[in-house]
Amino acid sequence: MDAASNHVVLRDGPGTPVCLLGNLAIVRGALEAGVQFFSCYPGTPSSEVGDTFAQIAKEADILFEYSVNEKVAVEIAFAASLTGARTMCGMKHLGLNYAADPIATMPYIGVEGGMVIVSAGDPSVITSPNEQDQRHFSHFLYYPVFDPATPDDALRMTRYAFEFSEKTRLPVILRPTTRVCHSSGMVTYESLPANKNRIHFTKDPARYVPIPANAHRMRKELTERYRRAEELLGTSEFFPRAGSGRYGIIASGVAYAYATQVIQDLGLERQVTLQQVGAYPIPGGVLADFLVDVDSVLVVEELTPLVEDRISLAAFRRRRDIPVYGKHTGHFPVEYEYTPDLVEDALRDYLRLQLREKASVVVPDLPTRPPVLCPGCPHRASFYMARKVFGKNTVYCNDIGCYTLGYGEPLHSCDVLLCMGSSISQASGIARTTGRRTVAYIGDSTFFHSGLPALANAMQAKDDVTVIILDNYITAMTGFQPSLTTNSREPGGVQVESRTTGEKGMRFSIEETVRGLGVNEIYSVDPYNEDATLDALKKAKNGVGVNVVVCHSPCAVNEHRLKRGEKRAPFTIDREQCNSCSLCVRLLGCPAILVVDGQYMIDQELCVGCGLCAHVCQYDAIRQSNAKKT
Amino acid sequence: MKSTDDHQDDSGWRILIVGTGGQGVLTAARLLCDVFVYQGYQIVSGQLHGMAQRGGSVQSSVMIDSGISPVIPRNRAGFVLGFEPVETARALPFISPETVVYMNTTPVVPYILGQRSILKQMGAEYPDVQELVDCIHSVTPCAYAFDATELAIEAGSVRAVNIIMLGCLLGSGLLPCTAGDFWNTVTKTMPPHLVTANNNAFSRGVELGKSFRSGERKP
Repeated sequence: MDAASNHVVLRDGPGTPVCLLGNLAIVRGALEAGVQFFSCYPGTPSSEVGDTFAQIAKEADILFEYSVNEKVAVEIAFAASLTGARTMCGMKHLGLNYAADPIATMPYIGVEGGMVIVSAGDPSVITSPNEQDQRHFSHFLYYPVFDPATPDDALRMTRYAFEFSEKTRLPVILRPTTRVCHSSGMVTYESLPANKNRIHFTKDPARYVPIPANAHRMRKELTERYRRAEELLGTSEFFPRAGSGRYGIIASGVAYAYATQVIQDLGLERQVTLQQVGAYPIPGGVLADFLVDVDSVLVVEELTPLVEDRISLAAFRRRRDIPVYGKHTGHFPVEYEYTPDLVEDALRDYLRLQLREKASVVVPDLPTRPPVLCPGCPHRASFYMARKVFGKNTVYCNDIGCYTLGYGEPLHSCDVLLCMGSSISQASGIARTTGRRTVAYIGDSTFFHSGLPALANAMQAKDDVTVIILDNYITAMTGFQPSLTTNSREPGGVQVESRTTGEKGMRFSIEETVRGLGVNEIYSVDPYNEDATLDALKKAKNGVGVNVVVCHSPCAVNEHRLKRGEKRAPFTIDREQCNSCSLCVRLLGCPAILVVDGQYMIDQELCVGCGLCAHVCQYDAIRQSNAKKT
Repeated sequence: MKSTDDHQDDSGWRILIVGTGGQGVLTAARLLCDVFVYQGYQIVSGQLHGMAQRGGSVQSSVMIDSGISPVIPRNRAGFVLGFEPVETARALPFISPETVVYMNTTPVVPYILGQRSILKQMGAEYPDVQELVDCIHSVTPCAYAFDATELAIEAGSVRAVNIIMLGCLLGSGLLPCTAGDFWNTVTKTMPPHLVTANNNAFSRGVELGKSFRSGERKP
């Protein structure tokens, strides 16, 4: 490996302290373990793991791909593991659900090369539609789950997890949460390995094919391997204990970091015994030893009371009748992420210290800064045109991506939403029961992720559904990862975002794809071409069964980011002509349109010259300025 | 390694940087991290920027030798660098009478405010900036408000607000690193054209921080 690399995760220099983002610490841990294969589907807060691999894959000699969805990512990585490769797979918590089908059977078959699935969690639903606790995949599907509290934990756990996975033949899950993924902390590098696993596939169907006869045997072996995993974890460094006070505190994830900090800040080291739970299944010995040395327990863990239930059970089995405090006793809530203050208040209560006064500072009522579609976003044009044609009574089913921001005022383009790929199926359900044509919005990446089966289903049922595919050539919301329609995708190999304007590699054709599913009524439009788009949408509205309108227009921010595309002059509003009818705001809600003391104007910095507002204006007051933007 | 200064106790130095997307909050935090790691301190840094995009609220914490938690507890920020008045006020729960606050007085008005009445949306109006300054000043005597945006423009670029604010923080002499050492370390890895563009902004910030410290300029 090139020691002179510029990327921080590829630097050599064992023993050097480095301050690293949690997600990058995971990448470094995998590199130190000799990872050979990486696949992922992006999702906040996990995306930087995949994006970093994308940057270094060639240099580090790693097979890399942004997969079409998480299920495919997991299946590919698992198969690569069967050839002996150390593999890693990245996704957010929801992706783990989508991939749960292969995930459920993989432990039965077992891995050859170590396999680590990074599934980042999002307590407090900061960037997700739900919060869930992936730690349950441990006793649910026999996965060892690592639960880092800090970037340092994340690095050491990842590094350890590959060999551990090989020893137990179990794939493992690493579950960092937003606060670990997106925090930076000190880590210490070890050397990058000189050698990696040998790649070789030995045919052995009895080992790799879980037909019932084999699965029956595998089931028994799995119990044994999972027991062995618990035993190995008992000898690992991920269950550190500090202090010898009789007040027991047991903590996991970032909540462990908060507990450590509070104990340090309040100087409670002599009163408490602090036990970290860094992985699951929690080795029985860890709980047993801890229970002997304390007179009571406070459990500090986010989301579900998993550790709390385990330790209560362990105490019951050992006839150790001591109080266990946590979520069941109201010391902590089950919902949302913890904060250092929440942990401090619970600790003060537990240790009978003086409680703090409630926050006395009154924060004035402040305006918020909600996310909106960017200036020049082609989705705004598509939403505006479709609503013009389909009207306010049509049900608009939306999907996961930037276009979810079609929700609410003023675009009114998101009446229902569920999960990745659900817009088409939901449109089918609503069209079938109401008997009315229903619109589904879905982006290019999400369409290939999980919209395809729903479209095939709608076709066979002949549902009255108009699917509007918003193709901006990129997976924008998670940080501009390439999608199938990104023109620089190199088939079959490592895909790297091309920074040129040229048509390199292949661009997947959405039209050919949907035609292959039997859709006959397909319209391809540029949403900024008003006449053509309105015309296509009108035809689709009057169509029979499933029809598809593909709106092609590149993500404005990505074009700007890559410094490509034509720079267009911003628009201005002629104060003489403008009669303050407010139509531009009421229909578009573009952040570049400002209303100051009743005057309408366009922010020249924000405007990218898309011209949609000029189309909307009835008084011809909005015009492109002469100045070319630099 | 620790100084005896009164703005640092057993829990090191806790700095909270707040602003809006595009103001360089995360860059400022990264520069602080880089320099103090280089100088041998233990650094933990956290960030919060929901759906990151231009104009959203951004908060980042930088903790120097203060433990392993990336989140600053209530009332325990040692320093707040506020790049924008409303965002600074949003940080009030972290401010105590001991907190030193450097605050830019130029607002970044959320676009939504002008459109809100038209779209019939509820929510607060943009408050009077002086009221926000007074509000912060009522909590800590060490709150220094100034027009960092104007200073940045004078220094060459509106984008240098973050460098002005960093200069101010380092100029205060309250961190365990001199302004000169800080800038020397930063410029080691910064592309030369950015060094030239930011030199002026940094030294203006440093002068300001020094004048606040010496009492030459009152909060």
